[in-house]
Amino acid sequence: MTDPLDPVIHAPARLRIVATLAALPETDSLSFTRLQRMLELTPGNLITHLRKLEDAGYLTSETSGNGRASRTSIALTREGRAALETYTGALRDLIGGL
Amino acid sequence: MHGIGDIDQTASADDGDELDPREAARLLARTGGDARRQFSLSPPRVSAFMAAVILAGYVVLWLSTRGQHPYQGPSGAAVAAIYSAVAVAVAVSVMVYRRATAGISGPSVRQQRVEGTAILLSYLGSPLIQGAMHHYGAGPTIVYGVIPAAGPLIIVGTTVLGVAASKADWPQFAAALAVVVAGIVALFVGPSAAWLAAGIGVFVGVAGYAAANGPYRR
Repeated sequence: MTDPLDPVIHAPARLRIVATLAALPETDSLSFTRLQRMLELTPGNLITHLRKLEDAGYLTSETSGNGRASRTSIALTREGRAALETYTGALRDLIGGL
Repeated sequence: MHGIGDIDQTASADDGDELDPREAARLLARTGGDARRQFSLSPPRVSAFMAAVILAGYVVLWLSTRGQHPYQGPSGAAVAAIYSAVAVAVAVSVMVYRRATAGISGPSVRQQRVEGTAILLSYLGSPLIQGAMHHYGAGPTIVYGVIPAAGPLIIVGTTVLGVAASKADWPQFAAALAVVVAGIVALFVGPSAAWLAAGIGVFVGVAGYAAANGPYRR
């Protein structure tokens, strides 16, 4: 039943990550720290899911600075937004058919 | 520059529990709504609070000038009350802005700063006109009544109209238009009633904007 749903997005943590980043304007990025605070995930858990999304080309991350002053920013790519739209459409179709 | 892959962190996470489509839809809607609310520069509750504070300030000004013949202008206590209301509004706005934009970077944040600067600068317009009127000998009706009541609404409201139009933010456009119209009304209803007209106009604009943003909330 869940076959049409993109498995990269269709996991609670990654769905929340993508939905949160999609609430930003298209060209903006969010710091790792704030994303972690908003989603209440552990750093290790968040990093694992971010890597999966990054590997799929759905988000980009960029770290600037070094040591304690370093800052990692995460942004949804155009492909990521498109994937979320497709996922939302598939979800709507599935729920409508249930 | 590097990214997530370079962060030295012990990572362990699985894909979590099986996610039912209905549950996924609920999670998507709730998370998106939460994020929009946290990123919002004008959360409905804060906007409603600001609308009430501003209305209270204008009502105090109106009460302090009602029945004055000839018109002298608001009392010192009333002016202190409105300055307190403005201070509260500014403090709340700064707090909300900082909280909403924490950790966000990109063109939209820079754009918001430019828009905020333009709006803040437009607040200078009315006191400058007021000063010029006083300089040229205009009476208290104009200098301490009509201009300070109507001027900020027309000048700041028009600036916000432009900002809203450039972003196609139609609820904000409608709110700013209500404020500008109230400012125009305030020009013609007399110096004391001008404060009440201004207060009602700002209240309707800000509270209306809060109500329009309401559907985004969970």
